[in-house]
Amino acid sequence: MVKFYQQTHDYEHPWSRVTVAFWLRYPNPFAAHVLSTDVIDRHVDPNGVLHTTRLILKRGNVPRWARSFMKHNEAFILEQSHIDPATRTMVSVSKNISHKRAMVIEETQTYTVAPTDPNHRTRVKYEVRFLSNLGWGLTSKIESFSQKRFADSSSKSRLGMAYILEKLQEKSKLPGYLFKPPQAA
Amino acid sequence: MESVGKECTQLKHQYEECFNKWYTEKFLKGDHSPDCQDLFNKYRSCVFKTLKERNMLDTIDGARKEIGSGFKPQSE
Repeated sequence: MVKFYQQTHDYEHPWSRVTVAFWLRYPNPFAAHVLSTDVIDRHVDPNGVLHTTRLILKRGNVPRWARSFMKHNEAFILEQSHIDPATRTMVSVSKNISHKRAMVIEETQTYTVAPTDPNHRTRVKYEVRFLSNLGWGLTSKIESFSQKRFADSSSKSRLGMAYILEKLQEKSKLPGYLFKPPQAA
Repeated sequence: MESVGKECTQLKHQYEECFNKWYTEKFLKGDHSPDCQDLFNKYRSCVFKTLKERNMLDTIDGARKEIGSGFKPQSE
């Protein structure tokens, strides 16, 4: 079965700052479940687009009914992104590579300038696809899990980004500002 | 944020400091010439060593094919 959810949100920050926050978003107070992040591949292509692959380890929140399929309460996520400063577009696709037999959760985030105020506002389209081969009467459980998981992760992702963006904005006002990653609380 | 391999975390921070500076001061301003390559290679070798110990390389390779881009494991 497949479930699909989508949401759009505008950040009141310029696109370039939002992309900086994307790299700095972990750790943040809304992502205590993120245990590690690593860049495993990165290059700029001939068109000036930056491609990055990151490996993210998250502490799982496995529902009781799924524990027999997911023995380890940790999951590796692969995140592939590309950033094109010429078109001011950033796309990130992430997918779990652990526990795939039980469920695959694929999240796509697309960041573009908001048409209403392209220099100060950034629009993110957040899409999540849940794919599961578990049948056997679990359909309604998977469905409600997916729905809850989507609401939870989209709001945490938004709050985390907003937190980092605020820190970046504060820093940019300081005299002699030189880029430094913000410290998480 | 930590690296998946505890012994790689310091290398990761050194690389990220370099990358963040490059990203904001060069890349976003249109200068795409690469930087921080030595730091990245050191950090990445450390991460791949950890992943190899955890038998993760094949899993990652397979996943990357599904998502789409080419992947060359480096395990030195």
